[in-house]
Amino acid sequence: MSSSHVRAETVDLDGQPVGVLTIDRPDKRNALTPEMLAELDQGARELGSASHALLLRGEGTVFCAGFDLSLCVEAPDGAVMRELLTGLDRFIRTLRGLPIGVVASVQGAALAGGCAVLGGCELVIAHPESKLGYPVVRIGVSPAVSAPTLMSRLSAGATRSRQLDPGLIDARRAHELGLVDVLSDDPEREARAHVQAFASKPPEAFARTKAWLNELTDAESEMGLDAGASLARSLDLTGGDEERAMLPRALRR
Amino acid sequence: MSETLATLEVSEKIGTLTLRRPEARNALSIPLLDDLLACVSELESTVDAGRPTVLVVTGEGRAFCAGMDLKAVMGDPEAPPQLLNRIADLSVRLRSLPQVVVAQVNGAAIGGGCGLACACDLLVTHADAKLGFPEVDLGVCPAVVAPLLVRKIGPGRARRVLLSGGVMSGSEADALGMVDALAPDRDSLGQVAEELAKRLASGGPAALAATKRLLNELDGSVDGSRALLGAEISASVLRGEEARTMLAKAFAGS
Repeated sequence: MSSSHVRAETVDLDGQPVGVLTIDRPDKRNALTPEMLAELDQGARELGSASHALLLRGEGTVFCAGFDLSLCVEAPDGAVMRELLTGLDRFIRTLRGLPIGVVASVQGAALAGGCAVLGGCELVIAHPESKLGYPVVRIGVSPAVSAPTLMSRLSAGATRSRQLDPGLIDARRAHELGLVDVLSDDPEREARAHVQAFASKPPEAFARTKAWLNELTDAESEMGLDAGASLARSLDLTGGDEERAMLPRALRR
Repeated sequence: MSETLATLEVSEKIGTLTLRRPEARNALSIPLLDDLLACVSELESTVDAGRPTVLVVTGEGRAFCAGMDLKAVMGDPEAPPQLLNRIADLSVRLRSLPQVVVAQVNGAAIGGGCGLACACDLLVTHADAKLGFPEVDLGVCPAVVAPLLVRKIGPGRARRVLLSGGVMSGSEADALGMVDALAPDRDSLGQVAEELAKRLASGGPAALAATKRLLNELDGSVDGSRALLGAEISASVLRGEEARTMLAKAFAGS
């Protein structure tokens, strides 16, 4: 990969090829740009066919602080926000659709888009002090895009609470709600053990089971909505009065 | 003119809907439900300016809501379905509001009262409050509240709670995922609820309303026919011998 902000590598873990996908922009708390989301998506696709399991991690002290909002302010018509939301949706769906298991290692914080990608993972390993949540309604943005995948991991009530409340929760509470699967003081080490365990499973049985679970927990199709109805709801608001008023104010703080 | 059993007050971005039947621990009677529904209609017809972003639902006095006032309706075979249909209607209309609705559960939320709390988008209570669904213990079927609880805490936990009956503390409800903010004691409930309401009101109203609308579509919250089917099931169980005998015994002892 050419970008300096996303790294996609295949490594040997106990004789198994596993993929490691790294968000690598630590000086910006791994804030996501449209280019990074496209590269993450491409990296996930490549690693999905070249490896037996995938580790998703963020370089530095924070897993991912969400979108790089400074780019959005420069495009008040909402064009960049639309690209980000669309890229995020595609990346989460790609992770979901991979035939292999995806494990996220979370330290520091997983916020907004950074929290949304966790919905596309089989397992989330987090440091107990890390913070998770969706503060995006404060900038006039709807997190609806990630509601279906979040709902496939959590109860509808916990999904509702997390999406409407801009407050953050710590990983301990997220663990109680089902958004975090394992708490660990060394999440990356713990995550590698789970990646290795996933990689050692018979691939056909694993892939078929994952695909069936995806189908069973797909709220959009269950409720007769189009795939992408949730993204459309987030896109509807972009560039609107509320976002234009709230986003610059939030960045000045 | 009869006294108002529910009031709606709006202060800038936050509205407060209060059940005002404290002498009956805010038990849901037909007149109380009619007054609650009238307040919801008022909110539905309020547009743009003057429309709050957040609605807090709470109860005057010692309890949020002690449940359905079955004692008042069991003498009249026509009345229980009317009561149940109103609760089903209220649950759907609270979800249909563009506001984020918060249940501020003071003291106790039992049976239909706990269902009302679960019909709100978020629930805040205190550690020693009493919450739960003792319906099956009384020969009653919690069919109206069942879909609300399934959505709130997930199907496995809801099954356990509804079939086990009884009541639990606010802390126990929190551990089940029923509670979105927990105050350590009753005295601090108001402050914790206010912090939550203000935090929610810091969100953009259009972003919140769009998110809520999609969540409703994804989890079936505004499926009115499903809610009314629950009311029908519950009413048919209430007509049976088992419920009538057990409720008569319970009312004689109270």
